[in-house]
Amino acid sequence: MDPVSRQLHEEPTPPNLDANRKPIKRGQSQWMIARRRLLHNVPAMISIVFLFIVTVLSLSASILTDIDPARINPMLIDAKPSAEHWLGADNAGRDIVTMLLYGGRTSLLIGFSCTAIIIFLGTLIGTVSGFYGGKVDSILMRFTDFMMNFPFLVFVIVVKTIFIDTGVLALILVIGFLGWTGAARVVRSKVMSEKENEYILSAISIGTKPSKVMLKHLLPNVMSTIIVQATLLLASMIVVETGLSFIGFGVPPDVPSWGNMLQTARNPGTLSEKWWIWIPPGLAITFTILSINFIGEGFKDAFNPKSSK
Amino acid sequence: MSQQVQLDEKKDIHVDKEVLLEVRNLKKYYPVHAGFFKRKVGDVKAVDDISLTLKKGETFGLVGESGCGKSTAGRTILRLTESTDGQVIFDGKDITNLSGSLLREKRQDFQMVFQDPYASLNPKMMVGHLVDEPIRNYTNKSHKQLKTEVEELLERVGLRAEDYFKYPHEFSGGQRQRIGIARALALNPKLIVADEPVSALDVSIQSQVLNLLKELQGEFDLTYLFIAHDLSVVKHMSDRIGVMYLGHMVEVGDKDAIYKEPLHPYTQALTSAIPEPDPLIKKERIILEGDVPSPQNPPTGCVFHTRCPVAMPKCKEIIPQLKEVRPNQQVACLLYDKE
Ligand SMILES: Nc1ncnc2c1ncn2[C@@H]1O[C@H](COP(=O)(O)OP(=O)(O)OP(=O)(O)O)[C@@H](O)[C@H]1O
Ligand SMILES: [Mg+2]
Repeated sequence: MDPVSRQLHEEPTPPNLDANRKPIKRGQSQWMIARRRLLHNVPAMISIVFLFIVTVLSLSASILTDIDPARINPMLIDAKPSAEHWLGADNAGRDIVTMLLYGGRTSLLIGFSCTAIIIFLGTLIGTVSGFYGGKVDSILMRFTDFMMNFPFLVFVIVVKTIFIDTGVLALILVIGFLGWTGAARVVRSKVMSEKENEYILSAISIGTKPSKVMLKHLLPNVMSTIIVQATLLLASMIVVETGLSFIGFGVPPDVPSWGNMLQTARNPGTLSEKWWIWIPPGLAITFTILSINFIGEGFKDAFNPKSSK
Repeated sequence: MSQQVQLDEKKDIHVDKEVLLEVRNLKKYYPVHAGFFKRKVGDVKAVDDISLTLKKGETFGLVGESGCGKSTAGRTILRLTESTDGQVIFDGKDITNLSGSLLREKRQDFQMVFQDPYASLNPKMMVGHLVDEPIRNYTNKSHKQLKTEVEELLERVGLRAEDYFKYPHEFSGGQRQRIGIARALALNPKLIVADEPVSALDVSIQSQVLNLLKELQGEFDLTYLFIAHDLSVVKHMSDRIGVMYLGHMVEVGDKDAIYKEPLHPYTQALTSAIPEPDPLIKKERIILEGDVPSPQNPPTGCVFHTRCPVAMPKCKEIIPQLKEVRPNQQVACLLYDKE
């Protein structure tokens, strides 16, 4: 008799036992494992704390300082740092510390809300497209290609030129609704490879509705990709705000933002002699983006099953 | 055995009350796209015109080499993949064109145990939720009720009640396959398609899982379509066996007939490869020459003629059809054509 048949005849199913059963331990989801890995990642944890502090400080700007960020004080034009104005004032006499706090609020608001809109739209379109495939996919991807080739920066600049006083909200909406294409493609390709796993077929075969298959089975398994994508986006959205404001097409000039602060410093005299006007926002942007990237790397490692920690 | 044949009023289908599943001329072609414009250049004929009938309570073993289209056949029968052509009649109802909620309603009655225990369980879901998901899809039971039911199921398939709170990555392949079985069993289905349920497992664990499946069959009144690439595994499970080659069914018959008197040259080669335990019996092993041709470009005529030791000139031209050569044994081979 061949080995299989011999065992079939001689061994009844032993109850509750498989040969290589592991010892009992409490169930640990992959999320818990990832979280533990992230907690052990020092640069990522420092970055999370830093980003948290920056966010809290920006949000509590109106409590921390009673200076009106928009107030132009002719007495303080280009004032050097002093005990009263720690980082001095800019060429319109606005207090730099106050501007930094309120500016952080604007820059982070734009960063987080653009990222949220982009991730939401990108995930929705990418998941539906990748899951259904076929006609749905080719229609959605054609639309995505169209949007991707859409000259997004030019569009923002044109909108800003036509409607001169568009506010922060308009900027967020324009960036958000034009910027989701990259995210949609990343999510789509991840969904397409993930849905090849038999657990998707298995979910369909036990009668789970397509919407639930996407939400409960696909989404949790592409979430790591989405989170990493979101951190990359957050950093680049802050850069986009800075860049657009710097060239004068971003946040309206009277609203403080880190990009606008750099913009006011955009002349050789200020750059060479008045360091307190441009170094603080420059450092704020640099460290914020750096910390976001460290967090992104931390997430990537934490989700990677092969990483050693 | 009384064979009650009656006429289904609506669909004009001849229904045999003993028959649970009837597959007629099922085809599944995967289009192949190539080139810059992604134009369709051909088809992978994964399943090409197979028919089979499963009686209630029996186990039909589907055997064939890797890549011959067994999984595709199983999935297409269960409407997990869209068929290209053909009909699937389940429990007297044509399910070929059902869709949406009607199809979902029917799915309760046919379930699948998947080939790869490492890919067939959602790694992010707790075992308890993996097993109660099918029940939640069709009923509104309370959390407590669900938990009791799941725990009973887990224990029935040889796991522990406290495994409820664990995640798939904490289990071995055999245990995962048991979770998959519990999940398929949860809805109390009539038919289970078991797609190579043990081929990914160690030999020592294979027999345990096979025995479990056998026990459950009696207990839950199950009909199995049991897929395997290995005749010796199928032997212990099946009442009847179908042999597939390159998307075609080449021989169907009762288990003993297939083992003792295989008719098709391919089946003969397969059975000759089963190790003979008695050293006194000298068996001549038929070694097939060459590789399995690509299903994208299958040979003309009989798909097996390129490797067939007894091929005749006409095999290149004529596609043989399944014909009953002996009682309860059908073969698709021109050797048995009387003309
Ligand atoms: N989604 C798909 N797209 C294109 N071709 C496919 C697809 N799925 C399967 N095929 C092809 O169809 C053929 C049959 O595949 P199938 O998985 O059904 O074989 P199998 O008999 O189950 O093999 P195995 O024993 O390895 O599981 C193979 O040639 C395979 O490459
Ligand atoms: Mg297979």
